[in-house]
Amino acid sequence: MKVLTIFLCLLWSSASLARPISYVDGHTLMANSGPMADSIYWHYTPNINYSVGLDYQRDKVSNERFPSARFTYLINRKNTDQSQRNLYFKAGVGLNNINNHFYSLAGDWETRRLFSSFSVKQSSGIDYDMLEQSARVGIAPYLGDYGDLHTWLMIETKKDDLDDERITYPVLRLFQGGAMLEVSYHKKTDWGLHLMYRF
Amino acid sequence: MKNLLLLGLLLSSATIYAEHHGQHGMENMHSHEGHLHNEMVNGKTLEVDAQRFDKFMVDIDNHVVAVVSVQGMVCDFCARGIEKTFGKDKRVSKIDVDLASGKVLLAFSMAVDVDEADITQKILNNGLNTTDIQVVGK
Repeated sequence: MKVLTIFLCLLWSSASLARPISYVDGHTLMANSGPMADSIYWHYTPNINYSVGLDYQRDKVSNERFPSARFTYLINRKNTDQSQRNLYFKAGVGLNNINNHFYSLAGDWETRRLFSSFSVKQSSGIDYDMLEQSARVGIAPYLGDYGDLHTWLMIETKKDDLDDERITYPVLRLFQGGAMLEVSYHKKTDWGLHLMYRF
Repeated sequence: MKNLLLLGLLLSSATIYAEHHGQHGMENMHSHEGHLHNEMVNGKTLEVDAQRFDKFMVDIDNHVVAVVSVQGMVCDFCARGIEKTFGKDKRVSKIDVDLASGKVLLAFSMAVDVDEADITQKILNNGLNTTDIQVVGK
């Protein structure tokens, strides 16, 4: 059960990440804090088609720490004058135990005003397999110029086949320059905090 | 006498027109409703935000400006990537990213040859697509 809890935390943090590939030679540092775990995730983009990264988790219940390696591949991107659409394949494997691993398909479509994304993720721990599905929609209440504070009001919904219960909750996303802050809340999972800095 | 007056009026208009457009160092340029249209030598029409363009040009002399039209530039992260990428290029004196119009302005010294293929590649390295590059002030 403890392993399951830890892995659920890992999935929680990976599901809410924005733009898993940066510009070429760009680094991204992320920090997540939730009711059950804290994590730090760094990734580097050597090529516009993929990024590689390392993730380090601390489980708040067991106080266990475990690292994992991650890979994200951009399957398809469609740019227009007003929008960008992406389709990604993601995978991760525990560095202490390769039986802990996941792979997923994720996509997003975004304009300056609207945002939508989805993720389907299959994960495996020592004694279990789990499929998780999530989707998110968002709207920017105002359009800022480059360098302004940008605000997104979002709703995310997710469900996995272990818990078999769909949860839906609001997410507030703020970003400016290379920094982003996301705050979410659900009565079951409590507050979630996600920080990101791109450099 | 009437013809002389008309000729004088025409000459005055032409002088005012030339002076106005000479401030930008470009030809065949006019602005209305906050946008600037410049008919290029190749017949294409360039459309940029006039106030933004003027502000960009304030502290740079003897430069050419590449106006780059970009697809997919929908967020600050995209804009920041472009600024960082071109900021590392010593040939680029000044950068402006306009999210609303999807335009990137790059100032190059007159002594520098503007490499459009390099600009396109750098935009691509940010995951975005270049649809047009027009160099103004040559």
